[in-house]
Amino acid sequence: MKTQLIIKKFFQGAAVISLALIFIALGNWQLDRSVIVKELNASAKVIDPKIYSLGKLAEPSVTLDSRNVNKSASLSGFYVANFKAPVQKDIDGQVSDWEVALLQVDGSVPESGILVVRGLWADRLNNPEVAMSTRVEIVGAIQPHQNDDRAENVPGVISRLDSSVIVGLTDLELYDGFVVAKSEKTSAGELIRERVVAAPPVSKVAGYYWQHISYVAIWWLMAAIVLYLPFYRRSIKP
Amino acid sequence: MSGAVKRFRVMAVIAGVMSLLLWFVDLPVAYLFNNEDWKAKVAWIPFVHGWVYAVYLLAAIQFSVKARWELRRVIWLALAGTLPIASFIAERKIVKTYS
Repeated sequence: MKTQLIIKKFFQGAAVISLALIFIALGNWQLDRSVIVKELNASAKVIDPKIYSLGKLAEPSVTLDSRNVNKSASLSGFYVANFKAPVQKDIDGQVSDWEVALLQVDGSVPESGILVVRGLWADRLNNPEVAMSTRVEIVGAIQPHQNDDRAENVPGVISRLDSSVIVGLTDLELYDGFVVAKSEKTSAGELIRERVVAAPPVSKVAGYYWQHISYVAIWWLMAAIVLYLPFYRRSIKP
Repeated sequence: MSGAVKRFRVMAVIAGVMSLLLWFVDLPVAYLFNNEDWKAKVAWIPFVHGWVYAVYLLAAIQFSVKARWELRRVIWLALAGTLPIASFIAERKIVKTYS
């Protein structure tokens, strides 16, 4: 009888501790989400006039650090593929189709590539001098990959600005995110065309910072309540 | 005891209103309509609901402890703050029994 009681108490204790740990983990998860939201909001507001080389801000096949979002990057290489990115919204809320090219980054080992938003799709024929053998120098703002599809993925069209969409089309090691070109230069001089400015990135984590913090408070409160339950004494009827 | 009942009643009504707003205003706007302006206008709802529910939970636990409720009822009372109308029903039942 006593052994049974000990076993029962043991399982009750284990259940309470497990439940409390689950609630604490859920609180930690919400805390992580709040940090992601905060970092992305902060990075969207940062205006850093410095131009960094691409290698300082990002690495191929590595998730883009949210602290580097919106920073200006300089890079050079060769355009090896062109895509239409339909229904893209710029910073003024104007929706249009964009021309996006895959740039094979100069001298990268292993060979790597990054998506570059060149401008409006309607202006794609403005610079016929740019061929695959033309080296292009670019300065642009680095942006995180998009999460929501804007269109179907068909040949020549990418559903969203995200290198994972084209991973099957190239052997290059792809960078996370994309660059919105502010200027492009070839040996013949600067390429003149209308540039686009991307709308601030939308967080893949829904909600707001203090909203997630409130959920942290709730989950941890639940954990505290669960830990209190073994000491709770009740009467049978009110 | 009457203080705990009063606190619970206030929080049950506020949490109930916030649950109704969350379920029938915020969630449809967030997931059924693709309108950023509307989303921005209702952004305060989940934020306020989160904090209100935390306070509701404290009020519910305090009341349950004072009333020495059994565990199952305590859990139901805690969950009532997350469902629309449920906290109003809980509030009515408690008023009937304890006022």
